[in-house]
Amino acid sequence: MISIFEPIIIPLREPFFIKALIGGSIVAVVCGVVGCLVILRRMAFLGDALSHAMIAGVVGGYLFMKLLFGIEAYAPAMLVGSLIAAVLTVFLIGFVSRLSRIKEDTSIGIMYTGVFAAGVVLVSIFKNYVHIDLMHFIMGDVLGMADVDLWASAFIAAFVLSVILLFFRYFQLASFDPIMAASIGMPIVMIDYVLTTCVSLVVVSAVSMVGVILVVGLLITPAATAYLLSDRLDRMMILSALFGLTSIIGGLYLCFWLDSSGGGAIMLFCTFQFLLVLFIAPRYGLIVRWIKLRRMIPQQLAEDIIGSVARHAPVSPAQIRKLLPEHVKIQRAIKSLISENFLRMSDNALMLTPEGQKEAQRIIRSHRLWEAYLQHVGTPGEEIHPKAHNLEHMHDPSTVGYIDDILGHPVQDPHGQEIPEDPSCREPGAIVLLSQLRSGRKVKIVNAPISGMGSELQPGEIIMTGNRQNGGKIWMVENQKGQWIRLDHHAADGVIVECV
Amino acid sequence: MSSTEIIEPAAIEVENLTVSYGSKPALLDVSLTIKKGLLVGVIGPNGAGKSTLIKAILGFVKRDVGVVRIQGIPAEKAKGLAAYVPQRGTVDWDFPVCVKEVAMMGRYGHIPWYRNPGKQDWKMVNEALEMVRMTEFSDRQIGQLSGGQQQRVFMARALAQSSEILLLDEPFAGVDAATERAILDVLDRARSSGRTLVVVHHDLTTAAEYFDRLILIKQRLFAYGKPEAVLDENLLSEVYEGRLRVFSNIKNTQKNSNSQAFS
Repeated sequence: MISIFEPIIIPLREPFFIKALIGGSIVAVVCGVVGCLVILRRMAFLGDALSHAMIAGVVGGYLFMKLLFGIEAYAPAMLVGSLIAAVLTVFLIGFVSRLSRIKEDTSIGIMYTGVFAAGVVLVSIFKNYVHIDLMHFIMGDVLGMADVDLWASAFIAAFVLSVILLFFRYFQLASFDPIMAASIGMPIVMIDYVLTTCVSLVVVSAVSMVGVILVVGLLITPAATAYLLSDRLDRMMILSALFGLTSIIGGLYLCFWLDSSGGGAIMLFCTFQFLLVLFIAPRYGLIVRWIKLRRMIPQQLAEDIIGSVARHAPVSPAQIRKLLPEHVKIQRAIKSLISENFLRMSDNALMLTPEGQKEAQRIIRSHRLWEAYLQHVGTPGEEIHPKAHNLEHMHDPSTVGYIDDILGHPVQDPHGQEIPEDPSCREPGAIVLLSQLRSGRKVKIVNAPISGMGSELQPGEIIMTGNRQNGGKIWMVENQKGQWIRLDHHAADGVIVECV
Repeated sequence: MSSTEIIEPAAIEVENLTVSYGSKPALLDVSLTIKKGLLVGVIGPNGAGKSTLIKAILGFVKRDVGVVRIQGIPAEKAKGLAAYVPQRGTVDWDFPVCVKEVAMMGRYGHIPWYRNPGKQDWKMVNEALEMVRMTEFSDRQIGQLSGGQQQRVFMARALAQSSEILLLDEPFAGVDAATERAILDVLDRARSSGRTLVVVHHDLTTAAEYFDRLILIKQRLFAYGKPEAVLDENLLSEVYEGRLRVFSNIKNTQKNSNSQAFS
């Protein structure tokens, strides 16, 4: 009987397939967990370097046992050799980047290719003694896993996972905030070394399966996939292990059905898995981002609509569209402004809500101040309005405040229209400078100049502002005794008042 | 002076501290003693060694010369006695960690490696989050907070550490005025509970209002004392080398606080 499950069951009857599945799963899980720390600490390139460097160690270990004891392909020696090569590479990288002007990434690139090259040369010189298939080493052979490889990976996985589980908080804090970690007495240098050792161990155990070139993918791709989906390190590690597992299972079936290279199929599956998540991840995915971008109303458009309604209200949406021919998405923007309570519509006519009026005043103030500024810097008259129309969107308080100050807090724009008062000066209790106020405001002095103009004002006094004189260059205030006091721009900037 | 003050060591003592990066000293022969319960501001131009001073007190940078003592204990042994709030720009805000986990990091120094955080630890974390009004965000990833909220999370972490000394690197950088008040409020409450706070600060116009004492450094220590003494025009123009346009305005606004300080 042929069932639809046949393609899934048939491979399971093969011992080599089962062995690859078990070995691969062990390696992928531990790669996933360590990979999270690798990508968060931006060590991905180092992982790549370590995998290449170990070939020198493998050959070294092989030769050592063969020449001294006559033992062929003794796995523990090759394992120790690759660890020594990894540690040596890390040391050399640190040595070069610390002692010269060469930056760390360059230093990694130089050192690992150097050590890798040494390995390749060694293999070719001693090709009569060393029976290492370079291709096997570079591409890996997951379906031809030896029992000893399986055991080595199992021990390495158990060791590395225990270390990370036991010292999870240490790895988390040392990665997130090393200064704090050091300040509470965590040995951060030691933690770095332990993590690098763990990465080396994991890389060594994974190379026999997927090969030197693909091992860094197994280390970082599942972790990066999990990173797109999780906001906690512990969950990221669990998810990453899971994605490692699915990559192995999916990849091995792919390899069996297509009769392809094992390592290649695993990494291909792993990469597709990543791309899929990259698009559909609920929070950090591209599709969600794209939808958000489409839904977003540009700030500039919203402000232009509020501005036009303020100038022409009541006005219909159709008229707005005529007033702002350069914009698209006007219909949607109006809808969103209504739902955000800036506009209201009755009988197809748009009006500003009190909230919208505040916003409109801010925009108009910014627009007119920019016009005054453009005139101040000598912009030709016909260019002032269109330029100000673009500049008005720069209306954060510090920018507008600065423009206002260098212009001497003008009350009128070049067209003779009134520049509205800074809305923050309208809130009771606000602490502002006297120079920012318009006439007819009752305020309490908080601080006044020690000498010169305005020194007759005393903290705590209540005063009333009058009309500006001398073309807006002189501020007039009346104290409670009915005396009028004259202040120039500098003195008015020095008087701090509280709005009442 | 009462006898308890003699027995109780100063919160932070720095003696002849020199720290260098390469051939250039970041700090040169800095000595100062900060008494318990003060809110101290560290001011100085960019690259003056303000952050380095904080890191040296934490024991994170290598000292060339000098001694740092925290509550009488040499800095290298005083692990966890001072809590640290990093500069906002130096934090990886995409790191997969949520608000309450960051606050829990404050407890890490108190939990042995073989144990998980206990009920007591969670209680202290919740209290700290309560104090900075961040309880409702405790499951939020830290990148999804506003600038002020992000700052408050790290305040909570420092409070959960239950250290007597808090070191903050530019907590007011890049936050709006309302947030600045909220952070200041937390600092005030920490001080009134007897803690000592050292805060790197860049805004001279608010320095006098916010702090009990000011440290003015540019590699060397130029002044340490009450704000009205440190914010001296000659001293500041020497340290800032004339790059101080706003200064004439500060003097104007000083009238009120001066009269209070001298009365």
